[in-house]
Amino acid sequence: MKIILHNTEIFASTGGRSFDAAGSVVMFIHGSGQSHLGFMLQHRSFANRGWQCITPDMPGHGLSKGTALKTVELMADWYVDFMQAIGVTKVTLVGHSMGGLIGLELASRYPHLVSKAAFISTALAIPVNDALVDLAATKESAAIAAMMDWGHGPSGHIHEHTMPGTSHMQYGSRLMASNAPGSLHAGLAACNKYTNGPTAAAAVTCSTLTIVCGQDRMTPRKTGLALHGALGGELVEIPHSGHMSITEQPLDVNKALQAFF
Amino acid sequence: MADYKFDTLSLHAGQSPDARFGSRAVPIHQTTSYVFDSTEHAAALFNMEIGGHIYSRLTNPTVAVLEQRLAALDGGVAAIATASGMSALFVTVLALCSAGDHIVSSSQMYGANINLFEHTLKRYGIETTFVPPNNPTAIAEAIRPNTKMVFGEVIGNPGMDILDVPAIAKITNAAGIPLVIDATFNTPWMIKPIELGANVVIHSLTKWIGGHGIALGGAVIDGGNFDWGQNDKFPTLTTPHFGYQGAILWEEFGPAALSIRIRTEGMMNVGPCMSPQNAFYILQGLETLGLRMEKHMSNTKEMLEFLVNHEQISWVKHPSLSDHPDHKAAMRLMPKGQGSIITCGIKGGRNAGRAFIEGVQLASHLANVGDAKTLVIHPGSTTHSHLSADAMASAGLTDDLIRISVGLEDIKDLKDDFKQALRTAGKVASANGGAA
Repeated sequence: MKIILHNTEIFASTGGRSFDAAGSVVMFIHGSGQSHLGFMLQHRSFANRGWQCITPDMPGHGLSKGTALKTVELMADWYVDFMQAIGVTKVTLVGHSMGGLIGLELASRYPHLVSKAAFISTALAIPVNDALVDLAATKESAAIAAMMDWGHGPSGHIHEHTMPGTSHMQYGSRLMASNAPGSLHAGLAACNKYTNGPTAAAAVTCSTLTIVCGQDRMTPRKTGLALHGALGGELVEIPHSGHMSITEQPLDVNKALQAFF
Repeated sequence: MADYKFDTLSLHAGQSPDARFGSRAVPIHQTTSYVFDSTEHAAALFNMEIGGHIYSRLTNPTVAVLEQRLAALDGGVAAIATASGMSALFVTVLALCSAGDHIVSSSQMYGANINLFEHTLKRYGIETTFVPPNNPTAIAEAIRPNTKMVFGEVIGNPGMDILDVPAIAKITNAAGIPLVIDATFNTPWMIKPIELGANVVIHSLTKWIGGHGIALGGAVIDGGNFDWGQNDKFPTLTTPHFGYQGAILWEEFGPAALSIRIRTEGMMNVGPCMSPQNAFYILQGLETLGLRMEKHMSNTKEMLEFLVNHEQISWVKHPSLSDHPDHKAAMRLMPKGQGSIITCGIKGGRNAGRAFIEGVQLASHLANVGDAKTLVIHPGSTTHSHLSADAMASAGLTDDLIRISVGLEDIKDLKDDFKQALRTAGKVASANGGAA
């Protein structure tokens, strides 16, 4: 669907199905430099099983127009405005990477809007190497290449994919390159600035699921476990996946989400 | 974690040793279809919400390894392997063009490509304008509002005109249409057109990539670098699909929209799929592509020196030679080598040419290129014989033209073979009165 929010055209995927705001809504929150496409194998699956899936592209990302937001807190507020704009009053949220930080803010500050929250390959904080933040500003393609390298585990690096004929690494690179210039830098800088994770996690009251990946080099296993320690709730570990678990090991991720939903 | 390089990807991309038996080689999944875990699993596969295999016309595990390896090597988001290079081109056109659409194509290319555009597609309402591949101005001027793609071979067959990929990509990018490149003659070892701005790459895998003349195959590599939603020219990708609950592929699959369309239309409804056995054969070739291409290039260099200096040869054409009209572009685009196809003229006309072809003993007279073995042919009487005289001239073909696909034999043996065959050709030429 396409809507106008804050005078900007915003695209949101509904997983290939019609969307009923009054149903059981699952809202997927993408990470830095990503878009709705990162959740392709989640929202299509759950939409086909009766959930009302909505995966908006944040401004400057994917098929949305506009300029990327600068802080995690502003992004959480944006998702609240988005929910209001499409008439959704409560969601199960699923955040990946930076989307997990946004999810922490959203679930802690707007508990009445969130029934459950799943956090995938994320942490209480995601400090980003200054060199990578600078690279995203000065040579975005090199920053994307570095993130693709770090973001994928062994199966990604040999270009395996559960979708026959597809390459993880190349798909991820093209997905990130299709965002508006500057969006990746804004996301990485926002991650770097965000320090409210522990406070937010302590304030989350809804049921939670944390999915931690054994070969994640961007939000390493120990940081995912620290998030789970702060949140409590359910924990699922996927030992053989890197950071991009939602595309690398979608069946494991979806199985964990389905059990949690 | 390494960013694996070409030779490593040639061996490993797309495959982990299988978990059950530990097979190191890619197993041949000689099966038509795949058992579903449950009705829900089946429904999920048909909804494209999970990956997996349904029926080998669409996907097959052995073929998928080849596809993923090719995508990795060419820098594409996905690849679709097909029964032949021609079917790869056809399913690409099918995904992008409909009746009333228009294609701008190189005029200097493989005869079957020309035939497809000039005759077959025309019957279905798709018009083509042919232009020289090395004339960017002519290409730009040929683009119309209903043009849906520009197509050409990086190295034209057999004239070896060079399509300047970055220059033409600028034109197609400005026009909002994709640049589709046939990269058969160069393989990703020599040039990666997607990195230079092309959007789709077509290969005949039968040639250098397979490399052993034992299996036909083709592939479409989806670059994933074209914004199909930038205009209204590509409704097959930006409006609801006739299946899959009306999915809008550009919205649902983004950079892989084209490959999904090809998979769900060309492969589904037309069905030019590659057999798993052929995928296995081609994978064996692909594993040594880098090694073979180096030897193809070094042998070609020595063969060129031999031919240029041989008294029975009237002319030699190869992009590495300074008198080739596209020499500078070839050296800029393909610094590692400019291909292992040589064309030349035998003094003494058609009869001398025939004597040469029939005189070679190591080299094989047949209609193929890119084999490990050296191949020779006279296009005027074989591969391009169906073309009119005007089309022959337009394609840069002359009656005395011999095409050589330089193989991997010891170069001394090859040169000795050519020497004796050229001696025979010389005798025929003398008997004909030395007509050149």
